[in-house]
Amino acid sequence: MAALVQIENLRKEFGNVRALDGVTFTVEAGEWIAIMGPSGSGKTTLINILGGLDSPTSGKAVVDGTDVARLDEAGLTRFRAEKIGFVFQQFHLVSYLTALENVMLAQYFHSTTDEGEARAALERVGLADRIDHLPSELSGGEQQRVAVARALINQPKLILADEPTGNLDEANEEIVLRLFRELHAEGHTILMVTHAHSIGQLADRRIDLAHGRLAQVKLRV
Amino acid sequence: MFARIVGQSFARNPRRKMLTVAALVVGMAVATATLTIALEVGDRMAREFRSLGANLLVTPQSDTLPLEIGGVDYRPVDEGAYLNEADLGKLKTIFWRHNILGFTPFLDVPSQLAGGRVTNTTLIGTWYEHEVPVPDGTTFKTGLGATHPSWQIRGRWFRDGANEAVVGAALAAKDREALAIGKKIQLTHGDGANSAASLDVTGIVSTGGAEDNAILVPLSVAQNYSGHPGEFRQLYVSALTKPADALADRDPKSLTPAEYDRWFCSPYISSISYQIQQALPGGDVRAIRKVADSEGRILSRVSTLLWIVTLAALIAAGLAVAATSAAAVLERRIEIGVMKAIGATNTAVTALFLTEHLTLALIGGAIGFLLGAGLARFLGASVFGTPASPRIILLPVVLGLAALVALIGGLIPLWRAARFDPAPILRGE
Amino acid sequence: MFGRLLWKMLRSNRGRLAVALVAVASGATVISALLNLQFDIERKLTQEFRAFGANVVISRAGSAEGADASQSTPEVRGSPALMDQAAVLGQVEKMQTPDVVAAAPYLYVVARVGDVPIVAVGTWLDQARKLQPTWKLTGGWDPSRADEGRCLVGRNVARQFQLAPGSEIELKYLANSAHLRVADVVDAGGAEDNQIFVNLPVVQKLAALDGRIELVQLSVSGTGPGIGNYVSRLASSLPGYDVRPVRQVAEAEGNLLDRTRLLILSMVVLILVLTALCVLATMAALAMERRKNVGLMKALGGSISRIMELFLAEVSVLGAVGGLIGCIAGVALAEWMGRRVFGTSITPRWDVFPLTIAMMVGVALAGALPLRLLGKIRPAVILRGE
Repeated sequence: MAALVQIENLRKEFGNVRALDGVTFTVEAGEWIAIMGPSGSGKTTLINILGGLDSPTSGKAVVDGTDVARLDEAGLTRFRAEKIGFVFQQFHLVSYLTALENVMLAQYFHSTTDEGEARAALERVGLADRIDHLPSELSGGEQQRVAVARALINQPKLILADEPTGNLDEANEEIVLRLFRELHAEGHTILMVTHAHSIGQLADRRIDLAHGRLAQVKLRV
Repeated sequence: MFARIVGQSFARNPRRKMLTVAALVVGMAVATATLTIALEVGDRMAREFRSLGANLLVTPQSDTLPLEIGGVDYRPVDEGAYLNEADLGKLKTIFWRHNILGFTPFLDVPSQLAGGRVTNTTLIGTWYEHEVPVPDGTTFKTGLGATHPSWQIRGRWFRDGANEAVVGAALAAKDREALAIGKKIQLTHGDGANSAASLDVTGIVSTGGAEDNAILVPLSVAQNYSGHPGEFRQLYVSALTKPADALADRDPKSLTPAEYDRWFCSPYISSISYQIQQALPGGDVRAIRKVADSEGRILSRVSTLLWIVTLAALIAAGLAVAATSAAAVLERRIEIGVMKAIGATNTAVTALFLTEHLTLALIGGAIGFLLGAGLARFLGASVFGTPASPRIILLPVVLGLAALVALIGGLIPLWRAARFDPAPILRGE
Repeated sequence: MFGRLLWKMLRSNRGRLAVALVAVASGATVISALLNLQFDIERKLTQEFRAFGANVVISRAGSAEGADASQSTPEVRGSPALMDQAAVLGQVEKMQTPDVVAAAPYLYVVARVGDVPIVAVGTWLDQARKLQPTWKLTGGWDPSRADEGRCLVGRNVARQFQLAPGSEIELKYLANSAHLRVADVVDAGGAEDNQIFVNLPVVQKLAALDGRIELVQLSVSGTGPGIGNYVSRLASSLPGYDVRPVRQVAEAEGNLLDRTRLLILSMVVLILVLTALCVLATMAALAMERRKNVGLMKALGGSISRIMELFLAEVSVLGAVGGLIGCIAGVALAEWMGRRVFGTSITPRWDVFPLTIAMMVGVALAGALPLRLLGKIRPAVILRGE
């Protein structure tokens, strides 16, 4: 069976700066990968490319059979809608939409909205009694869980999380990480950028980046 | 420090400021243009109305009843009184001489033609482009063009003092052979020295009135034919007047000295008539009421209309600018929040922003004024045929308006922002 | 969902949008008021011009061979071409519309009072009165067409012969005479001050010109093209006669109306530009704030067209609502303006509504240009580093 994600010699340059310098690795379906490294190492750039938010300068990045590097603007848009679920450090919920509507927003851009499914997604993340609240009425952890529900709603092949607990306190971090563990147990493929070793240890594999290059690939012990 | 902050604020984010200034500029340009035109329009429209022709008529005071049908007087020459042509230059010496756009004397003489199918007709002596000597040494060119602009000529008008004639269209139609351009017509049976004048027909005129059945000649020819040199019967005057109001309609004798001055120094048709009367003793000056009254009424209506439209445009412009400046301030909420967080008082914040806003308003207002002046010229030219000249007096008015409107617009969100807790703003809500 | 999103967007930005709404609504108010007024202005101004008297004249076509040998004044006037009263007036009667304010026949005769020659005008006294609104009848007499015993004398005639209402005069022409009583004195401020006015049959009998008239004068109201239309229809129903607008008046009237129309149009354009700029300024500010949300929506797989749909819908609502408010306020404004200028009510024109609203939506869309630039943003850039 082909790997879900296959990256070959990926390069990304921003002017003179080389954010990624020939990165190669693969990810199997169902794996939880932690991408770690100091700031400026290219972690976010890598995630962005995999998620179709950015295009590489050269190299291949095949996700579920599609080479992201070759997609045009419209293709990338569809790719993001159908294959990827994002979870950001800053949550990035729309401030004037309720939790339910934030989830439905993802449905809206994918195809059609289904309120029932959106509700179910929020129930899944334990927010059944919060569906009509605005983000300002939710705690950080709750907001992030809404973001997770949003990421899941279109049944993505890949969940990309960029420091998902970076803005959370300990208690909420725990809640969110537990959610990720459940998702992992259910078979979702997760790529998570983190700088915390404690979080990195939860993953199946660790990929360390430094100066845009792959430093290590550690298997969980 | 204050000035420095304001200066820095201008150096950053020029693009955002550009839009605010642009709205200010256009708003003030609209205001300037409409105000300029409204101020000028009265004058321009009045001139437009002079295309209706004369609005004053002077006849001899001690006169018999004119036998006038459709504008032509059929009295025999030995009946009735006359006015002196030599007095006419004095019309350009009265107080309102620059409002006297033109005047034309008429002398209607029953006459006979020799040969051809038409024998009895009327000879109308008048001016077309005649140079009148004015007592101050200059001359004033005037004639039919000023007082009867709707008369249409085929061919050309007679030269002043020449033995030439222009035949009325209806008369010419009765005898197309003899009364055509280029032919000579022969007058007979006149009472004066030139009673057998031979005239070249230079044109055919269509007036739409009784003159179409007559022959028009230079005044001097009619005077010589009738034996009344230097005299005429009627004078039509085209004067630029101001619509009558309460003061205009009162009897000048009943006015106090101050009121009298005001009346005399306003170009009402009554004061201009009065002044013409003084210049032409023996003459009876009357407004041609249907022209003068209607003109006045229509002018004041259109003028009112334009002022009202200007007012409406000003309000719209004012509101638009206020809205834009409110938007501009709203944008800066974060900055305001930051400033408050570092300890600025409400007053300090308000003062800073207001100063910035005012500066923008003045700059925008000044540019808007220039643009508006240009716009007024263009509009004046395309709508009225003559460009409206910008009035400098409007500059402080427009600047004041810009400042006022920008301030009011900016003040509301500013007041609200300054009172708010900075925290939610800084959090990004 | 689209509706829900739109509604939430509008609500969340209501402060900003309210401000832009003010600009749009005020622009729409003035524009719709002007448009409402425009039609009425033309009609009212042309009515004012009716005070000049007749604006259409019917006479015998110029190519008359002087066929009517009978002269109305044997001494001085060349023979004026005369028309058949029944034929001409019959047609005028048939072509009567509510726009024809007045219509009267005229026959001029140089008669005598005693030894003094004086112009006697035969007409329909009631219509002649309507044709000349600037006439002042000092005694307030209301003339009727049928009265053959009474006459109207001009101010100067009254002074010359010392006449007053009730005086008796005798009009003579060659061998005929007519005995008349002065019903009123007219102060016309023009040539009529020197004339005597009687009903048509009196003059016709006096001059032995039964059934003949010299002119018909009409006062026709309406817009420029409307009057022109009427004149040509009347002319084609009277072949062989000269039916013409009085040039002086028609030109001045046409000129004035053109100018007013042009001026108002320029105002409308200026205000549209201004409103567009204002919307632009608001939208530019809004666009800046929206970058994050737009980046997010793109990250979620939202296509540019899907995202733009929302923004353009938002702006269209702004334009439509502002336009509607403006139209309603504009009717009130037009009414006020109409009263100030003409002293009468304006009839609101309902077709101004869709026109103004459409213009405002157009202006709003034009001002939404900055939002289109949002389509270009790169989500990665926006969502990173905040």
